[in-house]
Amino acid sequence: MVNPVLLIVVPLALAFAVPLFGLISKKIVKILPVVALLFNLIVSVMLLPKVMEQPIHVFIGGFSPPFCINLVAGPIGILFSVLIALVGLLVSIYALGYIKEGAIEKYHTLYLLLITGATGAVLTGDIFNLFVFFEILCISSYSLVAYLGNKAGIESAVKYLLQGALGSSLILLGIGLLYAKYGTLNMADLAVNIHSIKSFSNFLPFILLVTGFGVEAAIFPLNAWLPDAHSSAPSSISAILSGIAIEVGLYAVVRVVFTIFGASSFLVFLLFLGVLTLLIGEMSAFSQNNIKRMFAYSSIGQIGLILFALSIATPYGVSAGFFQLISHTLAKALLFLAVGYMIYRTGSMDISSLEGMGKKMPYTSLAFTIGALSLVGMPPFIGFPSKFMIIRAALLKQETLVTVLVVLVLVATVIEGAYFFRVIQAIYFRGGKSEIKRERAPLSALIPLFIFVGLIVVIGVYPKLLTNFLDSTASELLNRLDYIKGVIR
Amino acid sequence: MNFLSQYIYYIGAFGLFFIGLYTMLTKKNLIKVIIGLDILDTGVFLFLIAIGYSSGGTAPIFSKSVTETGNMVDPVPQALVLTGIVIGVSVLALALALAIRLYEHYGTLNLRKIKEQRW
Repeated sequence: MVNPVLLIVVPLALAFAVPLFGLISKKIVKILPVVALLFNLIVSVMLLPKVMEQPIHVFIGGFSPPFCINLVAGPIGILFSVLIALVGLLVSIYALGYIKEGAIEKYHTLYLLLITGATGAVLTGDIFNLFVFFEILCISSYSLVAYLGNKAGIESAVKYLLQGALGSSLILLGIGLLYAKYGTLNMADLAVNIHSIKSFSNFLPFILLVTGFGVEAAIFPLNAWLPDAHSSAPSSISAILSGIAIEVGLYAVVRVVFTIFGASSFLVFLLFLGVLTLLIGEMSAFSQNNIKRMFAYSSIGQIGLILFALSIATPYGVSAGFFQLISHTLAKALLFLAVGYMIYRTGSMDISSLEGMGKKMPYTSLAFTIGALSLVGMPPFIGFPSKFMIIRAALLKQETLVTVLVVLVLVATVIEGAYFFRVIQAIYFRGGKSEIKRERAPLSALIPLFIFVGLIVVIGVYPKLLTNFLDSTASELLNRLDYIKGVIR
Repeated sequence: MNFLSQYIYYIGAFGLFFIGLYTMLTKKNLIKVIIGLDILDTGVFLFLIAIGYSSGGTAPIFSKSVTETGNMVDPVPQALVLTGIVIGVSVLALALALAIRLYEHYGTLNLRKIKEQRW
């Protein structure tokens, strides 16, 4: 059996090997992320069927919990790790041709560190360790946002950094308060001791942790950095940030709420926050003229939708939330990658500059259209079953409040449909009378695009491929006692 | 007075935290905001250290003369702070590097004037 710790060690080791290999040849450097992520993908997929039956616990240093740092490779952890490795691999293949200028070695080092941080954060079972991996993720994403070094990039990186660093300090303060009261940092051990968030001494660290992680998860009103950061980063990084970084933030929020604190009384508030985030994200996206800003706002909206589904807190609702998370990751990464090459060709991010792309870049436009339709929730793409599950879960809950909120979710979906169809219309039915010159994107861009399209269509047609796995992720999140018993024997 | 001497580190820690927060929220100059961030971080570190500190305590090492855990300083918060400081330093270094680049682009560090991305 493969040790899950390798999922963290291999990208970390290769990240710092990048400058060394850079001394030998600049070409090897580009291949290293592909190698590391291919390894991660294979290992995670191999571990997936095993952890569905029984989570794998790794105790680092040979002590038993709660005295050691432990990794919990449960269904959620490994599912996330598969997703991170898959999207990371495809984006790194895309980057082979896309990243040509600037400090290439540093780009790849930071990229691998970002992956390390994301994978570590979802696998760890120790709250301080979660903070450390989270910081690795955040610091590398601050610097990657500034990678192009242009005005917009630097400015949004500064903004992202200030807000992110403030959030991290709040997390650290929350961890300190928890340690002061309970004398432990192990998540399961904390969960044993914490019974409710009614007392102030539990409520304060709870709020600090949720706020701190909420900054990275871009939950309203903590999301001011996201539209700038996601739109000024290189497109490959935007894909990773939108597809992985904010999802990991959301994972941390959910882990704190469900596993550590078991805060079921807080969920109503999260339901509202989710719908509010969704509506604000979609309405802001509607009024954008910059295509990447539009996607960034749409990411905020999608995060709100996922948060809404997870806060329903029925097994079906949580499965639906994770399904939506996967469908958003695949679709949004596809959209950013597709649009990356269109922007590369036209040199402008205005939606009007995309007019006539349907004839100039047919394959990329097709991929873009499929991603957009999937995000809106059209069959037969992956967005349809995931959104359908969310609506169904909300109705099955049979509470008036949730039913009312689900109407707002549908309204938001209509807005989402409206602005995506506007872009699709611009691509296919406007302009294009000028020079019709067909240009094909390079192979390194087309391969990831087609794999994403394939996954979106295949899972959209056979949602059963995924739903079996999702059921056990839901039970991991909702059965707090099982999680505790698994770690502390 | 007794209260003060008992909780002096906590008062100091939260004092630093709020001074830092105030600086971050009200100052216009980016360098001052970054300094505010550093003060805020220092407050958090002091708080962490204060959790494990016991007055007149010894290092947590067992030896022939020291066999009881009674008056030992808790080593875990110190390990946390060490990690926290390293993270804080790297964030600070990155922030200052970005500040330099920002100045090159805009010729100013006044955050009210840097508004291209709708602060």
